[in-house]
Amino acid sequence: MPPIPLDQLPPGMKARVVNVFAPGRWNHRLLQMGVVPGGILEVVINNGRGPIVIRVMGATLSLGRGIARRILVEPLK
Amino acid sequence: MKKEITVAVMGQPNVGKSTLFNILTGRNVHVANWPGVTVERHEGWRNYKDHKLHFVDLPGTYGLSASTLEEVIARTYLLSGEPDVVLVLIDSTIPERTMYLALEVLELFPKTIIVLTKSDLAHTHGIHINPHVIERKLGVPVVMVSAATGQGIDELLETIIQVSKGLMGRKVPLKIDYGELEPFIQSVEEIVSKTSLARDFPIRWTAIRLLEGDIDLESRLKKRREEEALRKVAEIREELRNMLKQRPEEVFAQKRFNFLMDIIRESVARIDKAKMGVHERFDRIIMHPVTGPIISFLILLILFTIVFTINTGFPFNILLDTMGFSDAASIVEEYSLAGLMDKAISLLGEYLAYTLQGSPEWLVDLIVDGIIGGVGAVLVFLPLIFLIALVLAMLEDSGLAPRIAVSLNYLLNKIGLSGHAVFPMTLSLGCNVPAVMATRATPNYRERIRLILTIPFIPCQARLIVILAFASALRGIGSIALVLLSYIGAFLVFAFISKLLVAYDRRKGLYEEPELLLEIPPLHKPLPKVVWWLTWDAVKHFLKKAGTIIFLVTILAWTMLYYTPSLEPAVEPGDSIGAGIAKILAPLLYPLGLSYNQAWMIAYALIIGFLAKEAVVSTLAILAGTSSASEAIKVIGLNDPQIAGLTMFSVLYVPCLATLAVIYSETRNLKLTLIAIAIMVSVAYLVSLLTYSIVTLFS
Repeated sequence: MPPIPLDQLPPGMKARVVNVFAPGRWNHRLLQMGVVPGGILEVVINNGRGPIVIRVMGATLSLGRGIARRILVEPLK
Repeated sequence: MKKEITVAVMGQPNVGKSTLFNILTGRNVHVANWPGVTVERHEGWRNYKDHKLHFVDLPGTYGLSASTLEEVIARTYLLSGEPDVVLVLIDSTIPERTMYLALEVLELFPKTIIVLTKSDLAHTHGIHINPHVIERKLGVPVVMVSAATGQGIDELLETIIQVSKGLMGRKVPLKIDYGELEPFIQSVEEIVSKTSLARDFPIRWTAIRLLEGDIDLESRLKKRREEEALRKVAEIREELRNMLKQRPEEVFAQKRFNFLMDIIRESVARIDKAKMGVHERFDRIIMHPVTGPIISFLILLILFTIVFTINTGFPFNILLDTMGFSDAASIVEEYSLAGLMDKAISLLGEYLAYTLQGSPEWLVDLIVDGIIGGVGAVLVFLPLIFLIALVLAMLEDSGLAPRIAVSLNYLLNKIGLSGHAVFPMTLSLGCNVPAVMATRATPNYRERIRLILTIPFIPCQARLIVILAFASALRGIGSIALVLLSYIGAFLVFAFISKLLVAYDRRKGLYEEPELLLEIPPLHKPLPKVVWWLTWDAVKHFLKKAGTIIFLVTILAWTMLYYTPSLEPAVEPGDSIGAGIAKILAPLLYPLGLSYNQAWMIAYALIIGFLAKEAVVSTLAILAGTSSASEAIKVIGLNDPQIAGLTMFSVLYVPCLATLAVIYSETRNLKLTLIAIAIMVSVAYLVSLLTYSIVTLFS
């Protein structure tokens, strides 16, 4: 499957991070939290609007849609 | 002579660092600031065998890059030569993610001990960790502790001693093999060794950081005129980027995680318990775009209503009164915490007045009216501060706070703020001072400035006291309406001015979409002792900062009322220094339909309110010669629209002196602080006139 932005992933879906573009000031923070190319994450909550909640490296994070849009992922399974 | 060992305590946010720190130091803690910044530095001491352990709590950081102030503080401290031993905390329930910091620390500082926290919880989560495997792979001692049960603490203390003596642990920093990146690291090492950085930083570490992009190290090179080295490093970094077809820092992070996962695979076993159930369902509700904000508001509303009721009896006293049970209403008030404090203080005043009979009149007045009045003004708020701090501590420690932040993020985006504003906003309901300091968590600079400028509009406890005083002068439902109007009005102003500031930033091309990136820790029952610590810290903070100012201000207010400009005791309050100043400003209040005498008295109270909002209440009482502010309002003879208008003015007009001091110290910008005052005074004036006009129309 071609990579899609994280904000379009439905809840329960697992995905592999392909690329993060324009992370800006969140660059190092995202890396430290495990959002690295090749890293696996799982979408917990995605309501179409409002922040997205994902699980990555065992921890739960909430991301604003602006950031989520800039994370390209490859859905798994 | 005890040998002192300095131990730095590090960990990612939410791993239980403060809890462990408090246990290790027995709360024998001293708070200062890290040099040159407004980030708090906590340090504490503990005696163990024949050693004196000096613990320094470093700010919670996810790594040691240079992207946040906290990270720079942490790594600068590690390299300062001060710490003998470093503790890096790993959360046993999230070992994968939290080990990342441990690796970054080990690459920098060898005499490190890994502490696995929450080991009791790991069991319930079905996670089993073998510390010996981690010890073997990383070459450092690993100690499992549980803050809840106290288990592992003695072993940890013993290990600290051993490591400080060099009997355990690493002698050199950890070297992770970065594979295809190694030749590049070596090239940069050669360049770095010829710069001034080689003096202050480990060479390999510096090379790796520069390849990852490190604004702190880069700016040091610039400052020391070593641009040539900087340029060469940039070339190598560019070459690396081209080879990898990725940002170098991403690859470094990947390699670290691979290294880490190797260790995890061998040391951590998970029995996947399906304990999701209840928690996940609640999370889905509270972080849902529709139900989320509703639940959040409900939670906050219920909590604060309980706080207010216990403290002042409000709103039940009003409800009882309206329903005709005025005796019951009075009892609720009398036996509320504030009521009881009030009684205790007036008893103290009476006792002192009796004992001081025969002393000079000004002394008796100063002590009874001035000092007791001042002390009373502070102590009356103590129960309220305590309760609010307790509630906030519980929200924080239970994990509810970040969830509430997420649920309100969408609404806040509409006024140019993000979920990071929620915590400062809730703190603001207690006191603006910690609220302004809490804005630090907002990464977007413009958003942070907009927040600092608008947060003082949110009514703090001191203003609540003033609102309640004015409200009690109204009959029945009117008083509840006034309180609601004040809060709703204040929040509307907060939102409106936020939007105006956004428009300003947009015009100047400075606006960036607010963004949210927040960790959501698991929900858990707050540990009573942690809640107690957080609450007590807040109370101490209040007593120190607010207490001294309010106390001094009330004495000043008393002096300005007691003496005439020629320093004779004033016969009438109207002859005093204070009155003189107020009379000059009095005409500004004429549009509210106030007479000359009414106007200067109110003006005087408001001037005093600039120094400390709570003092408005006591000042009105002193001026009118009554024992309570609500009586004073009746004596002064204000009608309902005037009461409404003046309440709105008091709520909005200016942050108190302490808040202004903090705004200045957080922004280091005098112009901004003055702008804050200007915005607030003008908005307050307009809104109060508006309120007065509207209420007049309706009466």
